[in-house]
Amino acid sequence: MTNSALFLVVLVTAVFMVVAAMALAMWLSPKSYNALKGEPYECGIETRGPSWGQFRVGYYLIAILFLIFDVEAVLLFPWATIYSSIGLDGLILASFFIFVLLLGLIYAWKKGALEWK
Amino acid sequence: MNFSNFLFMQHEIGLVAVFLILFFADILGSNDKKWFYPLASILFAAFTVAGFFFNPQGEAFGGMFVASPLTSFMKNLLNIATFLVFLQTYRWLEQKEIKERRFEYFLISLITLLGMYLMISAGNFMMLYIGMETASLPLATLVAFNKHQRKSAEAGVKFIMISALASAVMLFGVSYLYGATGTFYFSDMAANISTSPMVLLGLVFFFGGLGFKLSLVPFHLWTADVYEGAPTSITAYLSVVSKGAAAFALLFALFKVFGNIEGVWQGIVWGLSVITITLGNLFALRQTDIKRFFAFSSISQAGYIVLGIIANNSMGITATVFYVLVYVFSNLASFAVISAVENKNGGDTSIAAFNGLSKSNPKLALLMMLSVFSLGGIPFFAGFFSKFFIFMAAASAGFYLLVFIALLNTVISLFYYLMIVKAMYINKADETSVTPIKSDNYSRISMVICFVGILVVGVISGIYTYINGLAML
Amino acid sequence: MIKLEYYLIVSTLMFFIGIFGFITRKSMIAILISLELVLNAVEINFAAFNRYLFPEQMEGMFFTIFGIAITAAETAVALAIIINAYRLIGDININDATKLKG
Repeated sequence: MTNSALFLVVLVTAVFMVVAAMALAMWLSPKSYNALKGEPYECGIETRGPSWGQFRVGYYLIAILFLIFDVEAVLLFPWATIYSSIGLDGLILASFFIFVLLLGLIYAWKKGALEWK
Repeated sequence: MNFSNFLFMQHEIGLVAVFLILFFADILGSNDKKWFYPLASILFAAFTVAGFFFNPQGEAFGGMFVASPLTSFMKNLLNIATFLVFLQTYRWLEQKEIKERRFEYFLISLITLLGMYLMISAGNFMMLYIGMETASLPLATLVAFNKHQRKSAEAGVKFIMISALASAVMLFGVSYLYGATGTFYFSDMAANISTSPMVLLGLVFFFGGLGFKLSLVPFHLWTADVYEGAPTSITAYLSVVSKGAAAFALLFALFKVFGNIEGVWQGIVWGLSVITITLGNLFALRQTDIKRFFAFSSISQAGYIVLGIIANNSMGITATVFYVLVYVFSNLASFAVISAVENKNGGDTSIAAFNGLSKSNPKLALLMMLSVFSLGGIPFFAGFFSKFFIFMAAASAGFYLLVFIALLNTVISLFYYLMIVKAMYINKADETSVTPIKSDNYSRISMVICFVGILVVGVISGIYTYINGLAML
Repeated sequence: MIKLEYYLIVSTLMFFIGIFGFITRKSMIAILISLELVLNAVEINFAAFNRYLFPEQMEGMFFTIFGIAITAAETAVALAIIINAYRLIGDININDATKLKG
């Protein structure tokens, strides 16, 4: 049996199992509806206030800054793995990269984006 | 690693230096900063002039970055255009809600310009992509710069969504090209390229992505909305600098990578330029807002720009670069007048505001008339010569039918450009028209430069010969 | 053994689901998510081509890394612009962004 045929068998079995389980549950289970069942589950306590409530815009600002500085770390991983073999040049270039990010942080700081008023 | 590679990046390093000076002036200076606007314009003017003395030539970082006299000329051209746009922003940046953020405008503009430099000098698709994103992400924030205006915010949303989609589509094309050839370097890719289905698929997606940036016709739907909603000087920047950079990047990519399979992409360019020019013209006819009008006018101009690319020889390069050069002066002259009228009128940009402009503001009306004549290609203004060279280049590659269609379209475009002239010179002024305007000195300088450019660039044949010499190299 | 074609099928599906979502979705956030799908499809392509066709080099992987970083920056800018639009329009439904048309 080739690999792809095996894959097909697994796929068909998986789909069959899921469909069979759902069909069985629908057929066997007793059905009752009441208003409580429609409640969104929130740690067992009743929901308070509208769930579309607004956050301070400051949260978004911090989140956006975090997103940038967080993901830029991806670019430092490849450098870290070969750090010993590229030596000083690599260090200079990586420092330059961090310096550019730092400029952004300084700007955000200076313009008051990090203050929580 | 050899740090002498950076010697090839003179323009880029100069621009970063200007950026850093302004950056630290902004964060360290006092809160008032009346001196900032003159400082920024003088510094950038000095850099623009200095740019003509930078003459790097060669490949840096293993072919990632390519510098030649031609790329230097293109960068200088973008510098001039950016400088003219800067001069036109004075009144806009004096507005109450913008005033405290006007430094950001300069900083963000400089970063977009850096991205465009990288696009032009790219020798590798990764560089092209990084340059394109460096150019278009800050541009989106500029489009949404009037952050208390709903129009500007909408335009910003549309622009960021479309430009992100465009670069994603382009990348999808690049991924297939990578699968077919195993490299991202332009030169290596050109050596391995063939007309296999994978390459064709890659080429089509790649072209689609850059077509969005250039607003060629099936991909033009965002243009009018974004141009109308963005602040007027940003619209000028989008329609001239951003479009010029995208055209240059497309030119280099097509010539360097796909030069050997020109038959394939020439067909695509043929079809796109015909519908771009025609539809751009037809939609421009029914606009009542001047910024939307110039959006469609710039779509049809983009069609002419790719007409030069189709030739795939040095004449095509020369014609394209020359066309963009003339387009810079003609279009920026119009936008200088538009922003003057808009600022006087409290943000109204309908064409009706131009009724009777020749009575109230004869100089502005004259400049606007010269500009639309040049855009329409009436003889002995610069636009006539640039269109002529474009047609020559396309004809030299044997595309006679294409040139014929483009010529017909030039006649249509004259009709709608003359509508503006009619509004200014024949229509009577009414209550929506503007009263006499006193321009600030900065935009006066930019108007004078554009005025001289329109009259002179076409007549001095040395410029064309000079570009031709660069393109031959 | 998983073949290259499977990766390409998945990535092509993701790409077109993303494009479909981009066109049909109403919420700006959902459009942004669709865009992420498109970009991730591209990144799958790069990584798969590199791994299967050109295992001796790393260019495709690097492009993926750069792609992820740039996409993050893109998302940050797009979210900032959407938040500003929300404050002005009061909604993130793209159908309400109709001030500009003609």
